[in-house]
Amino acid sequence: MITRLLSAALVAGFLASVVATGLQLALTSPLILQAETYEGGGAHSAVAPSAAVTFASLIVPAHAPSQHSHGGHDHGQADEWQPAPGLQRMAFTGLATLVGGVGYALLLAAVMLALRREPNPRNGLVVGVAGFLAVALAPAIGLPPELPGMGAAPLVLRQFWWLMTVVATGLGLYLIAVRRVPLTILGGLVLIVVPHLVGAPQSLDTVSSQVPPATAAQFAARSLAIGFVFWAVIGLAYGWAWGLFGRAAGARRHA
Amino acid sequence: MTTATLQTSATATRSAEGARALLVAAFLGLGLVFVAGFAPASVLHNAAHDFRHAQNFPCH
Repeated sequence: MITRLLSAALVAGFLASVVATGLQLALTSPLILQAETYEGGGAHSAVAPSAAVTFASLIVPAHAPSQHSHGGHDHGQADEWQPAPGLQRMAFTGLATLVGGVGYALLLAAVMLALRREPNPRNGLVVGVAGFLAVALAPAIGLPPELPGMGAAPLVLRQFWWLMTVVATGLGLYLIAVRRVPLTILGGLVLIVVPHLVGAPQSLDTVSSQVPPATAAQFAARSLAIGFVFWAVIGLAYGWAWGLFGRAAGARRHA
Repeated sequence: MTTATLQTSATATRSAEGARALLVAAFLGLGLVFVAGFAPASVLHNAAHDFRHAQNFPCH
């Protein structure tokens, strides 16, 4: 069973990451590259004095002009490794998508197992859409997908809020959709709403970003669309691959 | 009686195997998602940078 689960999750993660990598390279990576021209390089006359980190990285010419510039982010060291622009960077984006996709597929598999749902494409799609709602859409309400160079609250606070929102929304969906009695539905709604009442950590510096608002809006919409496709393919493909490996194992037994 | 016992133990074995599979999947899945989306090491961050932005992991 473990072998079947791991195999199906690998296949689902691989297929979904192929689709998502194509979409990311076509739709979001160009916007990220465009936004990076606004961080570090451009005119920063509007930079507030509080953005000392941004300013410091502007005077230190740590990045060659051709390199993927990370000025403005507090990364500690200036000469750390990063993928070369072009093909290498695209390859690492694909690799990261593969790792993330297999990770999501394994979590989806664990959820389906815990819920005792027979993994087929239909059930997989349902859990996949729930995964999109909990992991992509809910945190995006408070922390919209961001381009590099946009002002943001401290990373640890945002990561904590993100995680809390994902867990609360996932539990809420479970209480509403699986338990489905008035009391749990009420509790589920509360769990889903509370992170947004608490509120996501917001940036104090919202004026100094040079990224055009239209680009940022386009990025947020595209990011969510890709997230939906990612999760839907993970769910569908996991259900499909589970059946596939079941048949293969059955055929071996009967041979 | 014997059949019932056998069935019970078979069910128990299945559910123990299911619990183990569940733990393995959850542990591996969380680990991979952490590496791709959260790991603070700057090398991992830079490698996964565009993926993190596109999938809306808090980044930077």
